[in-house]
Amino acid sequence: MKRILALIMAVLMMSAIFVGCGSTSATPDQAESDVDYITDKGTLVVGITDYAPMNFKDDKGEWTGFDTEFAQKVGEKLGVKVEFIEINWDNKFLELDSKSIDCIWNGMTITEEAKLNASVTEPYVENAQVVVMTAKNAEKYKDAESMKDLKFAAEAGSAGESTISDNKWADYTPVKAQSDALLEVASGSVDACVIDLTMANAMTGEGTSYEDLTKALELNKEQYGIACRKDSDLTNKINQIMNDLKGDGTLEALAQKYSLTLAE
Amino acid sequence: MFGEVTLSLLKGFGITCEIFALTLLFALPLGLIISFGSMSKFKPLKWLCKVFVWCIRGTPLMLQMIVVYYGPGLVGQWAQGIEDPGVFITWFASWTVFDRFVAVLIAFVINYSCYFSEIYRGGIESIPVGQREAGQVLGMKKSQLFFKVTLLQVIKRILPPMSNEIITLVKDTSLARIIAVYEIIYAGERFIKAEGLIWPLFYTGAFYLIFCGILTLLFGYFEKKLDYFRG
Repeated sequence: MKRILALIMAVLMMSAIFVGCGSTSATPDQAESDVDYITDKGTLVVGITDYAPMNFKDDKGEWTGFDTEFAQKVGEKLGVKVEFIEINWDNKFLELDSKSIDCIWNGMTITEEAKLNASVTEPYVENAQVVVMTAKNAEKYKDAESMKDLKFAAEAGSAGESTISDNKWADYTPVKAQSDALLEVASGSVDACVIDLTMANAMTGEGTSYEDLTKALELNKEQYGIACRKDSDLTNKINQIMNDLKGDGTLEALAQKYSLTLAE
Repeated sequence: MFGEVTLSLLKGFGITCEIFALTLLFALPLGLIISFGSMSKFKPLKWLCKVFVWCIRGTPLMLQMIVVYYGPGLVGQWAQGIEDPGVFITWFASWTVFDRFVAVLIAFVINYSCYFSEIYRGGIESIPVGQREAGQVLGMKKSQLFFKVTLLQVIKRILPPMSNEIITLVKDTSLARIIAVYEIIYAGERFIKAEGLIWPLFYTGAFYLIFCGILTLLFGYFEKKLDYFRG
């Protein structure tokens, strides 16, 4: 009895190691370019998070937003379908490298970190980091120097976090998402948070859930880019298509629709 | 609004329940098999199982999920970059990522079967040797001994630690959002991002509470049912 079980066990363990590894039988071609790989499978898989106004769901539950429409237009030109996959932002480069997605296209700030881990396109939209706090506090604190004793929150690994360390604001709490940072301010557990300008425009002020919060200071102008796998030829392809879309005014129209500023 | 949130959370909770049920379905028998392995008289198998259990219990489930999901794709990517590949490298190069849900399931089943295996082992080893010897004297076969004498008593003894582990499993399912599987916490967090609503996240707690409550009652009922062994 035991011997049989031991055998079954050994077989199971072996199969656990082998399972799923042969999911594609096609032999990989060393020279295959990323663009060929994508056109062959017929879909461009775009990694996104729910981040208005870049990618968010409309009333019918369909993805929409600046980046959504932009990506769909690029997909048309490439002759492939565009599939949007929600990813965990912390793992974005892992997603890219393991080929579960083909590009990160979700209002990604072009940072040194992004350039180190991926091949990033030309910038397409401009953004800034803004300090958000209650309207009452915003009257007292006007510049970076006066804010140095405040308690800050920002999304872990975000451009807002870098802004905080650049300004040597010491009391800092990393949180999981930009929206969580707003929540921290609203609940009073921190005094201020540093988030994207687009996010702040969409989420604070009159008619939003955070009516009492306001932008106190704009810092670190930054630009959004699209991240492709390192050494991928997709980057140049997207750059080309992006130039065409800029040339014929498509991007400008999109930017106006979602009140964004295109990068020069 | 409340109805809409509830519906959305229920959808996420469906995935939570799926992870829970499928993990139990596979991990309960796999755990028993691993426990036999770690009690085996065949030393290499015994040590293989012990090391395996050590690795799985010794690393966070979150990390295991990341390895299971991204690992194969990363290996494939690495292998494709190697020139002049041998048989193995070519095979590695064909590796791609699993489906997200499948990856979660693999990680959960492996992780929980290791914990279960130790509970089984404790239960089986707690049955006095005298009972087995008595059975042997009566001429019972090894399989008869295990199923007719040991197993039923084991089930009764391991029920409390098992229910502990199973209730932990209910809540561990929330880790699945690390690799972006849409379970209930994820569904709740989405409302913060998309609509600036905070309460749905806390509301998810009610779902866990009710589910664990039902499980607690169920285990209490089973324990009563198994009471006939006493005295």
